[in-house]
Order: sequence, then structure tokens, then C-alpha cells
Amino acid sequence: MSTVVRQLRDFSVGAALCILIASAAFVGVRNRELATRQRSLADRAAAEIAEGRTLPDVRAVIVGPATPSPKRPYLKSRQISDGAGWRPLTATAAGASPDDKLFYDAATRYERETSARSPVRRDGAELDDDATILLPDGSGRALAVRPIANGLAMALTPPARPAPYPFLVLIGVLGLGAAFAAAGALVGGRAARLGTTAGIAALAIPCVLWGSWIAAALIALVGLGLAFAQGANLTDRFAAGVRGHKTALGFLAPAAVSMLVLVLAPFVIGLVLGFYDHHHGTWSFVGLHNFGEILSGGGRALDDPLNFWFIFGVTVLWTLANVAFHVTIGVALALVLSRSWLRGKGVWRMLFIVPWAVPNYITALIWKGMFTGEYGAINSVLHVFGLDGVSWFSSWATAFSANVITNTWLGFPFMMVVAIGALESIPKELYEAASVDGASGWQRFRHITLPHLRPALGPAVTLGSIWTFNMFNVIFLVSGGQPGGSTNTLVVDAYRWAFERGERYGMAAAYGTIIFLILLLWTVFGSRIVRSKGAES
Amino acid sequence: MNPRPEPTAPSTDSSTRMRLVRAALGWRAPAVVSVAAPPVVKRRRLPLVLLVLLGLLGCDRGSNATVLWHAYNGAERDALVASAARWNAEHPDRPLELVAVPYGAFADKLTSAIPGGNGPDLFIYPQDRIGDWADSGVIEPLEYWVDDARADRFSDEAVAAMAYRGSLWGLPIAVKSLALYYRTDLVANPPRTTDELVSITPGKHGYAVAYANVDLYGHAPWLFGFGGKILDEDGRIAIATPEAAAAMTFARSLVAKGLAPDHAEGPLVATLFNEGKAATAISGPWFQSDIAAGVPWKVTTLPLVSATGKFASPFLGAEGILMSARAHDKDTAFAVMDALTSDVAAIERAKLARQVVPNVHAFDDPAIAGDPTLRAFRDQLAHTAPMPKGAAMRMVWTPYKTALGEVVAGRAEPGPQLLAVEREVTSYLVPERK
Repeated sequence: MSTVVRQLRDFSVGAALCILIASAAFVGVRNRELATRQRSLADRAAAEIAEGRTLPDVRAVIVGPATPSPKRPYLKSRQISDGAGWRPLTATAAGASPDDKLFYDAATRYERETSARSPVRRDGAELDDDATILLPDGSGRALAVRPIANGLAMALTPPARPAPYPFLVLIGVLGLGAAFAAAGALVGGRAARLGTTAGIAALAIPCVLWGSWIAAALIALVGLGLAFAQGANLTDRFAAGVRGHKTALGFLAPAAVSMLVLVLAPFVIGLVLGFYDHHHGTWSFVGLHNFGEILSGGGRALDDPLNFWFIFGVTVLWTLANVAFHVTIGVALALVLSRSWLRGKGVWRMLFIVPWAVPNYITALIWKGMFTGEYGAINSVLHVFGLDGVSWFSSWATAFSANVITNTWLGFPFMMVVAIGALESIPKELYEAASVDGASGWQRFRHITLPHLRPALGPAVTLGSIWTFNMFNVIFLVSGGQPGGSTNTLVVDAYRWAFERGERYGMAAAYGTIIFLILLLWTVFGSRIVRSKGAES
Repeated sequence: MNPRPEPTAPSTDSSTRMRLVRAALGWRAPAVVSVAAPPVVKRRRLPLVLLVLLGLLGCDRGSNATVLWHAYNGAERDALVASAARWNAEHPDRPLELVAVPYGAFADKLTSAIPGGNGPDLFIYPQDRIGDWADSGVIEPLEYWVDDARADRFSDEAVAAMAYRGSLWGLPIAVKSLALYYRTDLVANPPRTTDELVSITPGKHGYAVAYANVDLYGHAPWLFGFGGKILDEDGRIAIATPEAAAAMTFARSLVAKGLAPDHAEGPLVATLFNEGKAATAISGPWFQSDIAAGVPWKVTTLPLVSATGKFASPFLGAEGILMSARAHDKDTAFAVMDALTSDVAAIERAKLARQVVPNVHAFDDPAIAGDPTLRAFRDQLAHTAPMPKGAAMRMVWTPYKTALGEVVAGRAEPGPQLLAVEREVTSYLVPERK
């Protein structure tokens, strides 16, 4: 492959990335320009109508003060004057225009927001201090409101389209950049890398003209990075790799795209949202405030069920208790099911897997019903034996136990299946040799079975602990956090921040990040512990 | 030009025509394949293409329709469908399309879809989210279209339930509140006061009243009957009051004296009532479908709280038709709202679905006026507390439920629990941006 072709190949990859950056910068700049231009026009027109003059093409009116209905103060009648005298501002009035509702709502909104007792409302549209909004309907119209002696002066601009995409400009700079890159390649040596940098940098020219310095700097960085990659021969190696594994990459592409869209994108968005606060539909950057509030316990006592550390403690206890029961019961059942004397193994296995096969929220709801105080199956059984019924969700210990019992029912089949597989792979000769040496049943279990189970159970325990740590359905549906929110775990509390405490999505996202970091640490160190134990044994 | 193929046996003409049609549609099958393949097989693809094209045309027509999301099932859905069919018959150029959306997913779908310019033009939802949606610009104010003459169609309580911060945000379509169901075989005369209620002794293992006593919605009749509040007149949190504590004490005494079951929820209330283990039950219109066949029952208004002389007042829940702030044709959307909340449509819903409708004149209809259940719920409206619509209200439910659970079970005193609720809710309301 000739040097020039190679150079243009590298340039085209870098240019594609830069065109994306430049396009994003262009869209941002043109939208801002349109909004500024339209608002400024609306402002000027409102000022003119307040003086009794009008601007061409801008609809300017005066809306009179509201007269509330004596019976229902939220129903208000208004008058409007658009140069041809005053008329009622209602849908049924003669001469009503399609824009009249915009004026009516703008007047109500203006009065509400300037009222001393009302906090500022955003109303889905951008609102500046002068009460000029760009309508959120995508028409590009701006509406300005100015108070005057006899009501409110309003001006509505005509629709406006943003500037068209600058195809010719981009084609021009692409050609210029390609020429720089090719020229560099023809000269050869360092000039090739210089040509790449200059060629890519040419694409930053429109961004500089638009005043988008961040985009220009990013493009320059791409140019330098590409030149560096060429110098280190990375681009050639990458291209050779792609050529050599074309088929494999083709097969991987759908999965990679799915992972990108379904896993990576939500994950990154979740991380970013943790740094924002959500209030009445608007987001504001708050830095690490959400994390600080969570980790400091929000000023609550350590034994307060709303304190993060209390919830964290409950979550750890919940995970430990469940995994312990899952492993113990799962391994015990696997040992029984692997006995040669047991008849109908297939049926038993199928029966024990049933709890796993039923969707966990259905199981949770069934157990919730069984734990009901008055008529629940469990208390009914206790009554049969002459015992008093238990008010399961009245104390922390019983509510927590109810959750653990339900999740144990759901979780042991997984450990059982893993253990059965591991048991079947243990060579029979080991047991025979141990028997010949006079080893007891316990010694055979301790020194043969257990060490052979560990490599399979280790990852299963790590996975099971992550699932349990993040289990939402059981806690939410069985105890619902009762009593007093003390059985909530971290994921349930994150849900409550998002949907029960004023849509604090930022807090919920910060919780999600903290949960992720905890589980990341556990996965890294937990699996090391399991591996080192395995190595020891 | 009609591209439909000949339905008769294959012929050279028809196969030639089909090749032309396929070429026109961009199908570039080699001529040899067209000739060699059996013509019947080839012809089958054309109706498919036409179907797809028709489907696309249909989609295009659908984009002009006013789309209404609802979560109604059963008879309520049938009644709504009947009203929509009447609109569509009268306005074929402005069709109405109903879309059933599961209730659980409803609010979140709307909150995320509408600001992006998606979602329905109209939707039916209870009024408790109006505050949030109005503040975040999800819904459209309606007072431009609505004057007193139009609002007079509805009861004052119902239309007021749709108002928030000086604007009207919906037209009421149904009202829901709790009332007192009683078994006529266990209670000859329904209790008119709480003293009469607590004097009911329906057998050895029975309860005087079953209701969702650890849920704020179920507890609300006592809360407001004792003079308690959630928000004060200025919209500030006012949970920890002596009156609210008295209401909690009363709820606890019902359980302590064995007059009401502890931690009762909907299914348990229905079971106790059906099995004759509860002489009365406090629930809403939906409870009728839970009552087993053969159970003799009636419904009446809630009793007077003897300690205060005020009526036990449940929350008034009003379902309304709300308009998306991004509705594509707002005038038509309002016309649809107007039609669906008209007296004719209301009478239809009351008769078909036994909905308690907010239209004053619907009760002039003899069939509705003569229905004692609808009448009881209608009368209960006069003694209800409007459900607060601000964001604060949605944060109250869980902490209040927790406090009720603790107090009713006898583990805590009402005063400190109410203070804890007020503190918790206030802590969520204080923005962290200082």
C-alpha cells in the first residue's frame, strides 16, 4: 500500500471523528444564535408595543389584567388589544387568533412568577430574567412579556429556522485537510506526521470561526494524537489487525453495538447524573454534593434507618445471611442428590429447581401473602401447633428474617446446580484411595469434596453475592422496608430517592455509582480471596 | 393506477405486469428468476407489499389522530371506548385513538416522553401528580378554553381538584373517595357517629370495621375528621399537630380494643368483610367488585367523629383528562376533552361502568339517581378533603405509613412519630443547593 493511501486512510479515520465534533459544535452554536436573535427581536418588539409602536412581522399585543371568577379564582377572564381595539381573550370570542392561547398563558405565567410568594417556574421552556421565552414547540418563535400601565405588552416573533448545515464549508476543509495530509506523505518522514496534524487541524477552522474554542481544541488534540499514533506505528498495526480479523470483527460487531447502546451508554449517563440535582424537571450541576450527602448520612444519627451507613450495614448483613444459606442448603442438597442410592434423581432435581424457574417477583408476592399476620399460611401453621402467630413485619428481626427466608427459597437452586456439576467432576478414584487409607466420611468431605467444590463455588458465590446485594424485588415486595424503613437495602433506598422523595434522580444515580464501586471492590478483592484460599488448599 | 395483480390463473400479461410493478417498487430480481419461478409464488409478495404500503398510509393518517392514554380496564374501558366511538363517528376528520397503558408505567412514561415531544395528546390520570407535572411543564393549562359556564357542569369539589397554582389543568372524569360499606345482616342501621361505630359487636371473632389502617389514604377520614392536616393553608407541611395525634390515637384504640384488624390491606379487608368477620369496611367504589356474591351489603357515608363533631373526611381523588403541553393540535384535543367529559358521556360511564361521575346533571338521570351506591359516593363528596397536589404530598405517603404502623402496633407514641414524619418530609423538600 502506497504511503499516500496509508496517510489518507489515517486521515479519513481522524477526520470522521473531527466532523462529528465540528457538527456537534455547529448545532450548539446555531441553536444559541437562533435563540439569542429571536429573543432579542421579541424584546425589542415588546418594548416598541409598550411605546405604542410595532415592528414588521412581529405580532405585538397588549393583554389586560386578569379578572378572576368570583366562584373559581383559577378561572380568569382577560381582554386583548391587537391594534383593533379590545376584545375578550377566550377561545370562543369572535376574532380569536390561534396565537391567543400563547398570550393568555404567558400572562398567567408572568403574573404567577412575578408574584412574591411563588418560586420561579421553568415551564419546560427556557426562561430568562426578562420573561422572554423561546417556545418549546420547536418553531423557533420567541415570546416576550413587559409590564405596562394597563396590562402586559407582549410580542411574538415569526417562526425561524436555524442556519442550514454547512456542507460546502466542511467539504472544503476536508479537501484542504486531505491535501495537507497527502502533501506530507509525499515529502515523507516527519513531514508525513506534520501533514496529518495540519490536515486534521484544518477541520478546526470552521469551529474557530463559530467561536467554539473547545471543539477546536478537541480537533487539534485529535490531530496530535493521530500523528503520535502514526509515529508509534499504531495505525498500521491497527489496520492490519482489522484486515486480519475481518470475519471475527463482523460477528462481534452486533454484540459490541448492543453492549454500547444498552450497557455502556446508560452506565455513563448514570455516572454523570450523580453529579446533578433534579428539581421540577430541571437539572443543575452540584458536583460531589450528592455523594457528600449520602456518605455523611445526611446529618442523621447512625441508627436512623435513613442513614446511608445503617442501610449499608443492613445490606451487608442481608448479603452475608443469604449467601451463607444459599451455599449451605445448595451444597447439602447437591451432596444428597449425588448419592448413588437415591432413586428418582431427575424428579428431585427438577423439583428443587422450580423456585429458580418461577419469576422472583411472583415468588416474593406469594411469600408476602404467606407472612400476612392474620390469615397468612405461616401463622396458620403455627396456630395448628398451638403457637402464637408472629406479626412478621412489626419488628426488624422478623421482617428481615421474612426477607431472608424468601430470598433463600429463591437462591439455593443456583448453588445446588453449580455444586452438582462440580461434584460430578470429582474423580471417583480419590474417594476410593481415601477409603483404602481409612479416611472417615467427614475427612473425605473435608479433604476431597470441599477443595474440589471451591473453584466452582468461588465465582458462584461472587456472582450470588452481587445478585443478592442488588436484590430489589424481594425487599420491596415482601417487607417493603418495614418496620420504619429499617429493612431497606441500598438499591431499595436508591429507588425511593428517585420515585418517592421528589424525583431526586441525581441522588438515586449517586447511590447507583456508590453501589457500583462497592461491588467493584468486592469483585476484585473477593475473587482474590477466593483464589488465594483455593491455592492454599 | 391500481397495482393489484390479476387474481386469475397465471398468464404472460400478468407476470409481465408484476415484473414492472416489482421494478417500480425497487425489486431488481433477475428476469430469468421471474420467468423460472412459479408465478403464484411471486404474486403472493405483491399483496404483502401493498399491505405494508397501506399500513404506512394508515400510520400517516394516525399521526393526525388525537391520542389518549388511559389505564382503564373492564367496564370503565368499555364505557370510554363507547364515548370515543361516538366522537369518531361525529368527527371522522379528527379521529380519537385510545391507547391502554398499564397504570404502573403510566406516570414515568409520561414524565419522560412528553418533554421530548413524544407521548399522548391527552391522558387520564388522578390529580395527585398535577402539581409535579404543572411545575415541570408537562401539562397544558386549560382556563383559556374553560369559563364558569363550562365548569358549572362539574361539582365544585371535582373541578377544584384539577386546579393548581391559579390555573386549571384538567377536566374531571371521575371522582373517587372512601365510604362506609356495611353488611346488612350484621348491622341493621349503619353507624352515624364513631361512638356508634365502636359499639358494633359482630360476634366473637369479628371486627366492627376493617380498613387499610396503616396507610395514609385509609387513615385520612380520621385524620381530617379530627381536624388534622397534611399541608396548612399556605401550602406548608403541617403534619405534627395535636389533632393528627388524636386521629392516630383513635386508630390505635380501634386495634387495641379489637374493633379493627392490625395492618389490614385491601385483600384482607375484602376477606374479612366477605366472611362476615367485619361488620363494616371503609373502602372506595372499586371495593364492590371484591364483595363476594351472596353477601348482603349497602354503602353509606362515613360517620361523624364524636370527639370533634366533624365528619370523617376521606381524600377526594379526582381522575381527570389532562392535556400534554406538546399536544399537536391543542384546540382539537380540548374539543375531545370536552366531549369525553360531557353529561352524555358521563351518564354513559355511570351506567356502563358505575363510575361516580363529577357531572352535576348526570344525577338527574333516573337510573343514576336511583342507584343507592352511586348516590352514597356522591353524598360523600360533600365531606372529603382535596388531595394536595404539590410535590410534597408524594413524599408524605411512605413516612406516614411507617409512623402509622408503629403507632397502631402500639410500639410508639403518635406525637414523636408525627414529628419524625414532618422532619423527614421537610428534609426531602429542602433543596440541597444552598
